[in-house]
Amino acid sequence: MPTEATKNYDFTEEKVFNSGHNACPGCGEALAVRYVLNTMGPNTIGVVPPSCIAIISGPQPYSSMRIPVYQTTLEASAASAAGISRALQRQGKDDVNVLVLAGDGGTYDIGFQALSGAAERNEDMVYVCLDNEGYMNTGSQKSSSTPYLAVTSSTPGGKPSDKKDIAEIMAAHRIPYVATATVGYPDDLARKVAKARDMKGMRFIVVLTPCLDGWGVADDEAVRVSRLAVDTGFFPLYEVEDGERYTINRGPKGVPVERYLELQKRYRHLTADQTREIQAGVDHRWSLLQSRVDCLAGRSKGA
Amino acid sequence: MSKTTRKAAAPATHRPTEVTGPPASAPAAGQAGEIPTIWTTGWTDVFNTGTWRAATPVHEWRPSPCHADCPIGNAIPTWIAGIREGAHLEAWLALVDTNPFPAVTGRVCHHPCEGHCNREVLEAVVGINGLEHYLGDLALAEGWALPAPGEAQGKRVAVVGGGPAGLSCAYHLRRLGYDVTVFEAHAELGGLLRYGIPEYRLPAAVVAAEIARLLDMGIEARTNAPVADAAALEALEAEFDAVFLAVGAQQAKELPHLEEGAGAGRVLDGLEYLHRCTEGVARDLGEHMTVIGGGSAAMDVARSARRLGHQVSVVALEARAVMPAQPEEIEQALEEGVALFDGAMVTAVEPGTDGGVTLRCVKVTLDPAAPPGEIRPVAVEGGEFILAADVIVTAIGQDPDLAPYGDSLSVERAILTVDPATLATSRAGVFAGGDAASIDRYVSEAIGAGRRAAFGIAAHLGHSEAEALRRPLLEEAVNRKEINPFYFDFAERHERAVAPVTARLTGFAEAVAGYEPDAAAAEAARCMSCGICVECDNCFVFCPDMAVQKEAARAGADGVATGETAAGDAAALSSAAPGAPPGSGPFYFVLDQYCKGCGLCVTECPRGAVRLEQVTR
Amino acid sequence: MSTRNSPPANEVQLAGDMRLLLSGNHAVSYGAMRARPEVVPIYPITPQTPIAEKISDLQLAGDFDVDLMTAESEHSAMSACITASLTGVRVFTATASQGLMLMHEMLHYASGARAPIVMVNVNRTIGSPWGFWPDQTDSLAQRDTGWIQYYTENGQESLDTVIQAFRVAEELLLPAMVIHEAFYISHALEPVTVPSQERVDAYLPPFDPPHKFDTDIGESWGNVVNQDMFYRHRKDLGAAMDLVPAASVRADADYQEQLGRGYGILEEYRMEGAEMAIVAFGAMVGSARVAVDMLREAGRPVGLLKIKLFRPFPIEEVRAAVAGVPRLVVMERNFSPGVGGVLHQELKAALYGMTDPPAVHGYLAGVGGVNVSPKKIVELVDKAQTEEPVPGSVWQR
Repeated sequence: MPTEATKNYDFTEEKVFNSGHNACPGCGEALAVRYVLNTMGPNTIGVVPPSCIAIISGPQPYSSMRIPVYQTTLEASAASAAGISRALQRQGKDDVNVLVLAGDGGTYDIGFQALSGAAERNEDMVYVCLDNEGYMNTGSQKSSSTPYLAVTSSTPGGKPSDKKDIAEIMAAHRIPYVATATVGYPDDLARKVAKARDMKGMRFIVVLTPCLDGWGVADDEAVRVSRLAVDTGFFPLYEVEDGERYTINRGPKGVPVERYLELQKRYRHLTADQTREIQAGVDHRWSLLQSRVDCLAGRSKGA
Repeated sequence: MSKTTRKAAAPATHRPTEVTGPPASAPAAGQAGEIPTIWTTGWTDVFNTGTWRAATPVHEWRPSPCHADCPIGNAIPTWIAGIREGAHLEAWLALVDTNPFPAVTGRVCHHPCEGHCNREVLEAVVGINGLEHYLGDLALAEGWALPAPGEAQGKRVAVVGGGPAGLSCAYHLRRLGYDVTVFEAHAELGGLLRYGIPEYRLPAAVVAAEIARLLDMGIEARTNAPVADAAALEALEAEFDAVFLAVGAQQAKELPHLEEGAGAGRVLDGLEYLHRCTEGVARDLGEHMTVIGGGSAAMDVARSARRLGHQVSVVALEARAVMPAQPEEIEQALEEGVALFDGAMVTAVEPGTDGGVTLRCVKVTLDPAAPPGEIRPVAVEGGEFILAADVIVTAIGQDPDLAPYGDSLSVERAILTVDPATLATSRAGVFAGGDAASIDRYVSEAIGAGRRAAFGIAAHLGHSEAEALRRPLLEEAVNRKEINPFYFDFAERHERAVAPVTARLTGFAEAVAGYEPDAAAAEAARCMSCGICVECDNCFVFCPDMAVQKEAARAGADGVATGETAAGDAAALSSAAPGAPPGSGPFYFVLDQYCKGCGLCVTECPRGAVRLEQVTR
Repeated sequence: MSTRNSPPANEVQLAGDMRLLLSGNHAVSYGAMRARPEVVPIYPITPQTPIAEKISDLQLAGDFDVDLMTAESEHSAMSACITASLTGVRVFTATASQGLMLMHEMLHYASGARAPIVMVNVNRTIGSPWGFWPDQTDSLAQRDTGWIQYYTENGQESLDTVIQAFRVAEELLLPAMVIHEAFYISHALEPVTVPSQERVDAYLPPFDPPHKFDTDIGESWGNVVNQDMFYRHRKDLGAAMDLVPAASVRADADYQEQLGRGYGILEEYRMEGAEMAIVAFGAMVGSARVAVDMLREAGRPVGLLKIKLFRPFPIEEVRAAVAGVPRLVVMERNFSPGVGGVLHQELKAALYGMTDPPAVHGYLAGVGGVNVSPKKIVELVDKAQTEEPVPGSVWQR
């Protein structure tokens, strides 16, 4: 009897992801990698930049992923994946999936140029960003994905700037598929990965994955925290096809942002005013997203 | 996360992994024995990350709070699941495994099962009592029979007293294979069920039907057959292999000063009043009645009197919130026009000026420093008030009438002394239960006592399976912190329909109707099956290390080691936890070599069917 | 007599060859086309752009079946080269100057990954300040990245060396750079022989690496290694590098035999009885040939040693070439601050330990792209004969 969050997807495990990997106990990112890899299936070649996933990939000569994986430099994930993808096409193997598993640093910051270039060329790959909102592998420094007022080792007083909206940026590239997902709703995540897998061209999914150490979350709370991110409206789950056709899967359920913030030590310093400010920001972004959806509905091509 | 006080043995649901080797195809580079520096040759599943953990998950059946709190030991989530799945007969059979009187208890039980029901975390406790009412009535309508008696033991047991304790004992003894004869002093079986609870709460026809069904198992009943004294008891002991005394508490406690003050005929005993109501004999008692007492009996008296046209006031020692009567009873009594003076006592009674009596009363609080079992009212200064009535009815509790048995049985604090586990009295071969041997004066307690005594008697008579069938006491029920409310949709509780007051007061028709089938189904759907794995797969899905795996088949497949044993033993597996119902799993096992002890499986289990155990090295 | 605009003296023209008037860059495009790379990830930069443009035109015309990936930066271009190569297809690219600098991180990555990419670099001054002039510092600054480096003298040699480089690179699993200078070679037109596709196909076997990304194999590349593994990895890379000179000689000999032209890994020009030899690489070699002819005509025993294979530096071959020559004059078009001319420095290091080594002068003659005419070269020879060599390189334009 599957539950609310798992009932719409069949988790027939193909065991593409091995146990014995080095992720922290309860790691949200490892959970995401499990769902993504097993949905993509074994006919996949992976690209992984320096990140927690690179460590989770395993030390030479062992791999935690039962697919060929290339570890690239931090800037180059999308470009490296493009090289593989084009080579495969020249070899007549265009049924083989190319999958990027990159962190937010390698996607939003130093890796952004390569990502944008690959998107403009509509390279054939599924690019999954495992977003733990910071450079967690190197000691929790801020990235441009870190949210406003979150404490990191490079913003000990709280980050003064807002989180970059990577989903909207990628939607503006008008690539075939953009989606947001999180580990608290695995059936939604798996459905999106499967949908992306079966398309062609540049497909981008950003998955919010709580980092227990970096966010200051208890070992067993990654799933709960990620759900609260969605239920408070911090991180709505939605899809955009060809930059125009929006589908909102899950928006806020009326849960106040405190419920989400209070589970994370990186927000422990917040004053009541700051919490209100964050709530206002969340509400505003949600209303903008809804406006965008409403505005485009019926006007987009192929609607 | 739940902690446990149980000592950690190797958990039953753990096993070492199968280790897979490197891929065969990749050629090794470099010299022999040196790890190649480029291109991988193996998988990480050779790494034993299980050494990291400080706590380990254990999949194990846990009692639900309703099950643990039920005086009869009823496996409630199991039969509610049956209703949910539309398997009503199976559900009813699971229910009557412990309680043969669901149509009765579904109407009158004080439902401690609903006290700690974890559904309250979402909206409100599950209507367990209503669901029992529904199943009980369905069984009567369908004419379902109770389970057949067990293998004949060739022994005979006498049950003295045909009330709920005695009949429950007879039922369970018969199922264990004994021949049973019930001796009942009154003309009909049922005890308080028949004579003490009014028709509008518990119709005599329902009681009769459930008792008749019980007798159909081959239980002999002799009515108008009191066992009146020690000699009669000895005669029974000689004739039968064991005796169960369930004579109830039929002597009303009295307040002598009232009778002196009020004059003859003005003060009645509530139990006798109710008895007369059931016989349809009403006395001309005058218009105003004051009932003294705060329990169910006092409410029964007051509400019966209202139906017979009296103006009724009730004086109860306890404040309303802590009156022994069930809250629904008090609420319905008030709706029916009963005037309640709670937290008060009658200090003196004198004849009234225009006939009748005057009651001098005062508001009281109960001294919290009083020793347990003793009630010490403390008058509130300036809290005096006066009531006028034509008749006073007392319902302040009863004592068993044990004088006939003389010194043959040990008595303490006005009740028979019994062993709490076996219900054996001081006399070998004589057992006792119900109101005669307990101050917990509830129908369900009586039924539970009868059941426990049946197993005590069976053990005494050397029954080979008595111990296995009994089910031990349950500890550490799933508490609400172990429920994950995310997995349950908000659903309002269905209440049973209560007839409008005006209809109620016209007679003794049932005040509360049972659930309609769709309401019962909806209410059953709210049960979360605390502690009972329903194979939702959450623990399997939410492990970042794939350390929780599913059993290839249900319990009974080979594989899982319990403790030190090697190949799986299905029976050992399914009864890994004491009290586990058959087929309750575990359906998952933990890979010792990989589990890092994060606890995600425990937190994401919606119903506390996995717990975390500290690991010591 | 040869000038830098001529094909090599040993050229044999074969049936099926094309004779075209081509710039050095376009000659490279034809060479690349003949080598049949599957994927060309590339980013434009002056003065490399004609290479990519010609490849584009050839592809559009249906002559060159290739996937041209217009990357959004050189760093991404090289990143894609590495992975395409590791997926098991032949890869080619080209860049210059700033682009090569931007690729620097990935050049190390490519050799460490043992990806046999062939890249043409057009030598151009590196900013700041800005300039577009011939200067070899850009490619020389990459000499530690584990790439094979060949310096060519003209467009024909660039075309031929691109094809040979694929042979050597894929045999030893090391990336290779073919380098020619801005404008002097890249944009200068000359008649070029483009060999037939059939002959090149016979010369270059298909690329079939032992390891690659293949879902049937499942092996991965790039997981973190420990210190011991890193040490061994570098040692293995070094061992492959040590085999480059012999492999290059073989590749060149086969090329001579099958396609009609050969260059050697270095060339001795009129070295017989030389009292002094000019040592140079790149475009300056062409001018130096003219200068040597002038000197020899005047009866002065001066020869020329052309360095073609620069990395690995062919120590044994160079020692053999200069044994018995009393004086060497290095003239070069690059500058490494704090050290001087790179060829000067590498040459001296190569000669260290020789019995009776030549005295070595080093002149920074063409840094920044200043013109070094044959007349100027003769002046530098005169100057060298009048002064004692000093350890450092001497600025002389």
